[in-house]
Amino acid sequence: MLSGKLRIGVLTTFPPGTGSLNEYGFHFVNALREKFDDVSEVILYVDELPNEASYPAFEDDNIDTQIVPCWDFDAINNPLRILKAIRNTEPDIVLFNLQWATFGGRKVPASLGLVTPALVRWLGIPTVVLLHNIMETVDLKSAGYAGNPVMEAIVRGFGNIATRILLRSNLVALTIPKYVEILEAKYKADNVLLAPHGSFDANVPHPVFDLPEGPMQIMTFGKFGTYKTVEALIEAFEILQNRGKQDLELVIAGSDSPNAKGYLAGVAEAYKHVPNIRYTGYVAEEDVPIIFGEAAVVVFPYTSTTGSSGVLHQAGDYGKAVILPNIGDFAEVITEEGYTGEFFAPEDAQSMANAIAKVIDNPERRREIGQQNFLASHGIPISEIVDWYLLHMQTLLLDSTNTKRRQRRLRRQGATA
Amino acid sequence: MQLTERTLDNVNIIAINGRFDAHTSKPVSDWLEAHSSLTPPRIVINFENTEFIDSVALAVLVSTMKRCRQNNGDVFLAAMSQPVKIIFELTRLNKAFHIFDSEVEALVSFGV
Repeated sequence: MLSGKLRIGVLTTFPPGTGSLNEYGFHFVNALREKFDDVSEVILYVDELPNEASYPAFEDDNIDTQIVPCWDFDAINNPLRILKAIRNTEPDIVLFNLQWATFGGRKVPASLGLVTPALVRWLGIPTVVLLHNIMETVDLKSAGYAGNPVMEAIVRGFGNIATRILLRSNLVALTIPKYVEILEAKYKADNVLLAPHGSFDANVPHPVFDLPEGPMQIMTFGKFGTYKTVEALIEAFEILQNRGKQDLELVIAGSDSPNAKGYLAGVAEAYKHVPNIRYTGYVAEEDVPIIFGEAAVVVFPYTSTTGSSGVLHQAGDYGKAVILPNIGDFAEVITEEGYTGEFFAPEDAQSMANAIAKVIDNPERRREIGQQNFLASHGIPISEIVDWYLLHMQTLLLDSTNTKRRQRRLRRQGATA
Repeated sequence: MQLTERTLDNVNIIAINGRFDAHTSKPVSDWLEAHSSLTPPRIVINFENTEFIDSVALAVLVSTMKRCRQNNGDVFLAAMSQPVKIIFELTRLNKAFHIFDSEVEALVSFGV
């Protein structure tokens, strides 16, 4: 183990930035900032906020943290700007909190951004990538990246290249065992590892399953417009209303995906005839417990899967019953991580309405699912997962120090031979 | 799950028989916490008859290792059964722990 404390760089989205994975970045960084025994400083490489707004400084007594806004969603010069910021701040190691569309909704900036971890490693700074999804399990059509089979083949080809480049990082961490197996088998990768997602808040009290006064809330949470779409959910809501369930409210919590600006405004206009729908817009961190706490069920109207879901973990934190699409690895996540829920056929409003009804009509079932999800989400707090990362980073840096020593020794031996 | 424990020349040894997971981790976690607070802690965990291990159990082991090393000691893992070995390789935690083929080898490394 290294004796010195580490200066750790983390490239991530971060609130009040609204890029995807900002919630995960927030909880991960907060946990990292409490690791006084291992970390001396945290440097956040975050995306620029709109309208030249500034990130609020940390005002607590946790580990010193610099915030360095140095990239923009959909900008093509992100790798150069990030490299420059990293060279200027000289961290010991950099962790990248990534998914495929972190750097852009357009293919070129999205792909170019993914080259950055390898560039940083070539700069001589070890890199660890936490990759939340892999190309092999993303439905490109639903995610809005490929409209026809030819384009899908092209995007997958570039995706394979991007994966190989990402695997040039020292380590690539994945949250689902199957992802590790796929990358090992397809790319012969020997630097991938499993690191569970972790639960966001270890201090959440045991949930109360009683619901607040007023209409029962059916809630969906996220950034909408690509593979998270709400049309089928609203139609399912209409079906429930037509079945005589009038005391319901549909809460659409969150904002547009960065890749689908204006999506929710368009939906609100198209479905303005449907009563009892509330659009919350961006949900500030302090309002998250209220939004989840008041919901009777949390619905995941996804048309594609993108790996282990942060929203699912949050729903678990608050002991919520969940309504899930029966697609791909989403069901696998449920099983492997101990979650449960009612399933529906993706994009099928009738099937979704039936799944929701099974839960809201049966308080016992709602409690059972909520209880199991609460227990599942409290398996490992993210703070302990951060310890895993620190361990990997320390091992990596120790190996790299030993390698450099070995190279120096060999050079000396060569010189004296 | 069954636990067998003994002490040999100030090394505390625990053998975990059966499943080591979220549902059974409490007694192991309590034992490890108590013994990793000793100065210096010297622990050997024998996995020869451990049938299954999950991520919660791994988290217990990582915390233990951290505590032991903070207290100038260590925890050595020994005689891993195949299912345990697979999980350690999947998480690459095999690179972070000192792992021995047998309990005897782990004890010898502690100077017993």
